[in-house]
Amino acid sequence: MAITRVAPGVVKVEREPLSLSDRLYLPQIVKGMFITLRHLLKNLLSFGKTLPIISYPEVKRVYSERFRGRHILTTRDDGTTRCVACYMCSTACPAECITIEAGEDDRTREKFPVRYDIDLLRCIFCGYCVDACPEDAIYMTRDYEMAIDTRARAVVGLRDLVVPPNFPVGPMGWRPYYGGIEKKGWAGGTGLGQPIRSAPFEDDAPPNPDVFRGEPRQTV
Amino acid sequence: MSTLTKFSAIPYTGPAPTNRDPYVPANATQADARGEEIAAKINNPAMQQERGQDLPTFVVDKNAITDVLTALKNDTFVLPLDLFGADYPRREGGRFDVIYQLYSVQNNERVRLKVRVGEDEAIPTSTKIFKANDWFEREVFDMFGVKFDGHPNLRRILTHEMFQGHPLRKDYDPAQRWLLTEQGVAKLTPKIDPRFEDVDTDFERVTLNLGPSHPATHGTLRIVVTLDGETIIGADTEIGYLHRCFEKMSETHTYQQVIPFTDRLNYCSAIINNVGYCMTIEKMLGIEAPARAQHIRLMLSEFMRLSDHIICIGTNLVDMGALTNFWYLFQPREEILGLVESCCGARLLPTYTRVGGMAVDAPSDFLANSQRLVNMLPKFIDDVEKLIMKNRIFLDRVQGVCAISQEDALSFGFTGPCLRATGVPFDIRKASPYLGYDTYDWDVPIAEGGDTYARFLVRLEEMRQSLRILQQAIDRGLPAGPVIVDNPYVALPPKSKVYNEMESLIYHFKLIMHGIQPPVGEAYFPVEGGNGEVGFYVVSDGTKNPYRVRIRPPCFPIFEAYAQMITGQTIPDAIAGLGSLNIIAGELDH
Repeated sequence: MAITRVAPGVVKVEREPLSLSDRLYLPQIVKGMFITLRHLLKNLLSFGKTLPIISYPEVKRVYSERFRGRHILTTRDDGTTRCVACYMCSTACPAECITIEAGEDDRTREKFPVRYDIDLLRCIFCGYCVDACPEDAIYMTRDYEMAIDTRARAVVGLRDLVVPPNFPVGPMGWRPYYGGIEKKGWAGGTGLGQPIRSAPFEDDAPPNPDVFRGEPRQTV
Repeated sequence: MSTLTKFSAIPYTGPAPTNRDPYVPANATQADARGEEIAAKINNPAMQQERGQDLPTFVVDKNAITDVLTALKNDTFVLPLDLFGADYPRREGGRFDVIYQLYSVQNNERVRLKVRVGEDEAIPTSTKIFKANDWFEREVFDMFGVKFDGHPNLRRILTHEMFQGHPLRKDYDPAQRWLLTEQGVAKLTPKIDPRFEDVDTDFERVTLNLGPSHPATHGTLRIVVTLDGETIIGADTEIGYLHRCFEKMSETHTYQQVIPFTDRLNYCSAIINNVGYCMTIEKMLGIEAPARAQHIRLMLSEFMRLSDHIICIGTNLVDMGALTNFWYLFQPREEILGLVESCCGARLLPTYTRVGGMAVDAPSDFLANSQRLVNMLPKFIDDVEKLIMKNRIFLDRVQGVCAISQEDALSFGFTGPCLRATGVPFDIRKASPYLGYDTYDWDVPIAEGGDTYARFLVRLEEMRQSLRILQQAIDRGLPAGPVIVDNPYVALPPKSKVYNEMESLIYHFKLIMHGIQPPVGEAYFPVEGGNGEVGFYVVSDGTKNPYRVRIRPPCFPIFEAYAQMITGQTIPDAIAGLGSLNIIAGELDH
């Protein structure tokens, strides 16, 4: 590729004629083989350390601390859900995947959700619900393994979403940002030159191992 | 400290936006002055200038539109950028606006023409003047039901044949569902090219379907070809398989909620769409994102352009059997997506920008990771170049294949690398710089020939130019400061204030519930996407939902030309040509 300047700020990529050795085809093929051989030797001699390969599911990719995965609902120290059923998240949701029904606590007169369903098949994981929450109640985790076998199981309710009070939020994903405090993050990349942890994520695992295994919801 | 300063922590001192303020573009006077010059030059009494717009705008009588378009084309406006509709049901004198946008490559300026038509009226077709308008007119007919007199093939394009009604009309109920059964599927019979009509051959003519789900089509496209032996003597294309009503959905959602939808247009370079949409709304609001946000936008746009070109080159070479390049190129692409993920938590569909800035600041290791990527990418590009650019098999398969002349490319409304491969140095980053592209030292690559090879050369060189921009951006470093404007009518207040201060909490609720409310008016803002000009035309009526959002999809006119480009070629060449056009179905079908 020969580059010539034709005007200020404009360069022209010239079409180069083939030389004799190029026309003979074989010399260039050998040259090309050297390139692939170089890659092969590099990967062999490094014993696969430079290979951009993750042997899923034995090894799992580590995403950044901003990853927008499955949601959780946080709780206060006394065990009640932080959510006050203000409908901000369901209003902000572009996919309309959040269904909330509000109830009133007889004892404290506080509003709280009696039903909080997220349809994960509708969810587009944009994080708007987290940004919209004024109560620090909904976070997203780094959990991305959400395979299901029926559509009904894609609807997760309070049972799957609520986590215990002292649930460690450190390894979580997308969270509300606190003014100047930085949301931490680093490039996950392909794992090349990056630490890879073996499965499973001990500290990232959602507390409820029975997630998505709830009773199929009755659909009308 | 007085209680007032303690509780009014948000330093925004400007006025609250009042609903139904008219939008006055910053460049309205220049546009009006330029419009007067154009009107004097064209001198057609059917052209009425509409003042106070961001482009020179004219309302044209529908019977005179072909004359005006011809006159403008003979002037310098040779590139038909867009043709779309807008519906104002309660307006007197024709409820539909059919809007033509033209671009003059020579003078670097745009012009907008509006034709007002009623429900049962028809507009004379302009397909003979601009080839691109064939599909654009079909789209307007499909979406609004506006008829075009003399159009050779006026049928639905994005919706299917059994669809009832016209979805972008304001009185269309978006909750309706229309079923397509087998009887409704269009039987396409490609028109045989006159060059091959009388050719006497030994072969029987065969009609063959490629797609809609075929690995070589890179998306859901349907190509019907008539073959004479191995030569394609007639081709027809059908799109709309991935139509997700982006424009209609935008009308039923708030301005902020449209941003995730823009991700899904060109999903190979989603951040460029985010930036384009947000900058359109920022233009209407008269605000500008902070310098830090602009810097992040620029860097990620360039990374996304690299990733877009990597996909195009990589998959195109796979179509030709060169799988190695695909593996070599996809490693840096994975790293680019990893960088995007570290910024915003998602790889492919980032939703990173917000109106007025970015959702969050870039991570502290953003520049270091960018530098690592910029260091590693040239090696991969060089490897690919060495592997293919002297390979005779590759060259024989791309040189002179699926070529399009410069004149045809302009008439078809090509933009981006495909237009630059025909020798037109049109790049929006140079023509109307945004995000400070003019402060960087870089060049627009062009090539000659307009064939698959030329598109390869342009894309490879563009990747190197993107790396040049990125290196300069990294050297400059991220400017200090916030990443989103300090305006509670546009951007959500910081969470620490929302939790602790009543005023911020109210702003937060107001913004989520009532949304951003831009002033009443219309604006168009183009950015250079991976495939060409990605433009958003937004009409606001002062409410929280956009009245009309139009995306100018660069793939749409490019794929329109595909049937013409492959006629006379063979099937393997057609596949190689399709790969080099980089058709992204999400954008094509919006």
